[in-house]
Amino acid sequence: MDRETTISQSLESARILLAPCTQQLLTPEPGRMDISLATADLLPAVAALHLNGWGRLVAVTGLDLGVNEGDLEVLYHFCAGAAIVTLRVRVPKADAAIPTICSLIPAASFYERELGEMFGITVVGTPNPDRLFLPDDWPAGVYPLRKDFVVPEIPG
Amino acid sequence: MQKNDQADKFIIPIGPQHPALKEPGHFEFTVDGEIVTGATIRLGYVHRGIEKATESRTWVQNLYLLERVCGICSHIHATAYCLGVERLAGLSVPPRAQAIRELVVELERIHSHMLWLGVAAHEAGFDTLFMYSWRDRETVMDILEGLTGNRVHYSANILGGVKIDVDAEQTKTILQGVDFLEKRTHHYLDVVTTDSAFVQRTAGIAVMSKAVAEHFGAVGPTARASGVTQDIRIDAPYLAYEDFPVEIVLDTAGDLKARFVVRVQELFQSYQVIRAILDKLPAGELAVTMPRRIKENETISRVEAPRGELFYYLKSNGTDKPERIKIRTPSICNFGTVPALAAGHQLADMPMILAGIDPCFSCNDRMVTIHRPADDSQTWTWEMLRQYGISYYREKER
Amino acid sequence: MNAIGMLTNLLFFPAGLFVLVTGLAYEWVDRKLVARFQNRLGPRWFQPLADMVKLLSKEEVIPEGLDVRLFVALPVVALAGALTAALYVPLVGLNPAHSFPGDLIVTLYLLSLLTMCIGLAGANTRDRFSLIGATRTLTQLFSYEAPFLLALLGPAIVVGSWQIREVTAYANQHWLILTQPVGFVIALIGLMGKLELPPFDAPEAETEIVAGALTEYSGRGLALFRLGKGVELVIGLTLVAAFFLGGVANPVAFFIKTLALLLIIAGLQSLFARLRIDQAVGLWWRYGALLALVQLLVLIILRFWGWNGGL
Repeated sequence: MDRETTISQSLESARILLAPCTQQLLTPEPGRMDISLATADLLPAVAALHLNGWGRLVAVTGLDLGVNEGDLEVLYHFCAGAAIVTLRVRVPKADAAIPTICSLIPAASFYERELGEMFGITVVGTPNPDRLFLPDDWPAGVYPLRKDFVVPEIPG
Repeated sequence: MQKNDQADKFIIPIGPQHPALKEPGHFEFTVDGEIVTGATIRLGYVHRGIEKATESRTWVQNLYLLERVCGICSHIHATAYCLGVERLAGLSVPPRAQAIRELVVELERIHSHMLWLGVAAHEAGFDTLFMYSWRDRETVMDILEGLTGNRVHYSANILGGVKIDVDAEQTKTILQGVDFLEKRTHHYLDVVTTDSAFVQRTAGIAVMSKAVAEHFGAVGPTARASGVTQDIRIDAPYLAYEDFPVEIVLDTAGDLKARFVVRVQELFQSYQVIRAILDKLPAGELAVTMPRRIKENETISRVEAPRGELFYYLKSNGTDKPERIKIRTPSICNFGTVPALAAGHQLADMPMILAGIDPCFSCNDRMVTIHRPADDSQTWTWEMLRQYGISYYREKER
Repeated sequence: MNAIGMLTNLLFFPAGLFVLVTGLAYEWVDRKLVARFQNRLGPRWFQPLADMVKLLSKEEVIPEGLDVRLFVALPVVALAGALTAALYVPLVGLNPAHSFPGDLIVTLYLLSLLTMCIGLAGANTRDRFSLIGATRTLTQLFSYEAPFLLALLGPAIVVGSWQIREVTAYANQHWLILTQPVGFVIALIGLMGKLELPPFDAPEAETEIVAGALTEYSGRGLALFRLGKGVELVIGLTLVAAFFLGGVANPVAFFIKTLALLLIIAGLQSLFARLRIDQAVGLWWRYGALLALVQLLVLIILRFWGWNGGL
């Protein structure tokens, strides 16, 4: 069985697993599948992949969709071999909260801490919400990876 | 990774400044006598704000910025970025360029693994192995310098190809170097598997089963030493790995010794691939032209860095600058295993358990530095520092 | 013994200046040899002296929350102990400056004084690395001390005297390494444990606990401790050479034999990975103490039958 077939079979099985939660399905490029979810469906969707042994969580990306849009997006990238499935969850900046997935995948803890400090997304129920990368005296409410954060000029 | 309340316990802090760590990280080991009962991690001491910085630089400038995410695996970062950007821009890179990239990637892996071997041996108090492996590592450093002009940040990549070529003379030098290194590597494999004093410190220590490795999402050699079949070079070939493949190196023991064996064995794979590439280097162009702007799109680029899977998420917005670049380095996946492995072991094993995952702090800590308003500034100019030093000592003499 | 002679003994030779300088020189030889074994260049000949001068001229930081008097006194006591021990050993092949029946035991205790002081110095501070280091130093002390003592008692039993001068006088005629090889090996390795040289450097394993018990010491205090170690190295080598290697009857024999021992020690330092403290203790008690004890019993029994201890 060549690689292409394996990838399309993997993606197909992921599509079936995620079908109940899927709001929108995109295939942006070969070997990838993007699935948009409602926030409430995140945990069931992750469980569907994880508990059925489909791939592993590779990374969690935070996105600021821009000052105008006013939304943040969280991308959960799962990979099985060369196939990549991305679960996309949109949250409004005003009420940026997503459920934790650490109960299923403890390795997500670091990513969730990063989301919290870099984007100001409250990860509800994450086991350790402490700072990971930013200094302890970092001002509260300043989230460096948001688009409205402008890197200040260094004096001198 | 649970938050610990350790008010009345004896905690050994390791880092951010500590002889065991060549880079700053902070670990707190709760000990009961010599036995470690818990561990926590704090990162971010070399946080430079690279992810944010990429958003205000052009695609080309970012290549040189991202190469500086890490000093040990600089080329692989640049490669992962190039592969992603080229996909966004719809470029097809000439095969010769891809093969040369792979050549440098594997040379870099050799240098990284040998560096690790030395550091890990030093953590075990085996300085002789440390000195010898670093002496031999100079061979591959010389090769890289001869090939690219640099020892650390090779800058072999440009968007759309490479800027270095390999001629017949360089081929000869590389092959000679590889032959020498292969001979030495056999010796090192012998040392890490048979030296009884050393094996006493590694065999059966920090055993991570396959299930645990998968549970915590370990990647790279750390995962492969626990029998997890995962290598991006094989799972999702990039560059020229279809034409010049490697074989996966696995060990099922899952202990520190297995991590030594897997990394040393991987060196042989690298030697074999380098020989294959040099033998059948495709002819042709070295680079294609890269457009300045990239239309709105996004892509994912995954490569196998010396420490494991490196993940790049790139999003373009139609300008000459990226909208967002997300980097997920292998070390952050492997860090999660440390607290789990630490419990129940001796304090003396901690440096080796830490070194066993081959942590790279620079890789993890990338993002932002902030300074508050001028009256309480965190960023000092050289002159401010100088003045402070002068007044401090004046004050003291009084 | 007149007062001037005593003062000379204390300040210049054999204790005092001479043994301090020899200690630094031997430290250099050790560092250079290890460096060459590890394919490094190693320090230049005056490096230990330069280190000492630098340390002595530096500010001594006294941390908070400890007994200052103890902190200041311990390095002095440690060095004094080591220097006093130098009075009783046959340095440079000469007769010991002082001698009395039972001085072997006193010397061995004086040598342990340094380790005790280091342990106390660590326990005195509130630094966590120091505390762990002190625990390890004392643990190691209790594990190598018995085998080391038993090994050095072997020659004394054969001679039937606890006086170093008499033992060496006998050993000058006999190569006791031939009849007591186990004792020789244990004494040499015990010396490495005493000096916390690799692979027995768990008490000061820098990758775990920085500098162990001496983490908080800087400047003068650290310099004195290091001088003490240098002196102890010389005395230890002298004792082992004098007891087991056919004595050190003249300066040439002294330097050849002690440097040969140093070569072996440097080789052993380069060969092994650091032993964890539990592994070191296990090694001493399981093999060291047991073997030394067996050899001692054999010697006592043979002597009881009238064997004179030589070949």
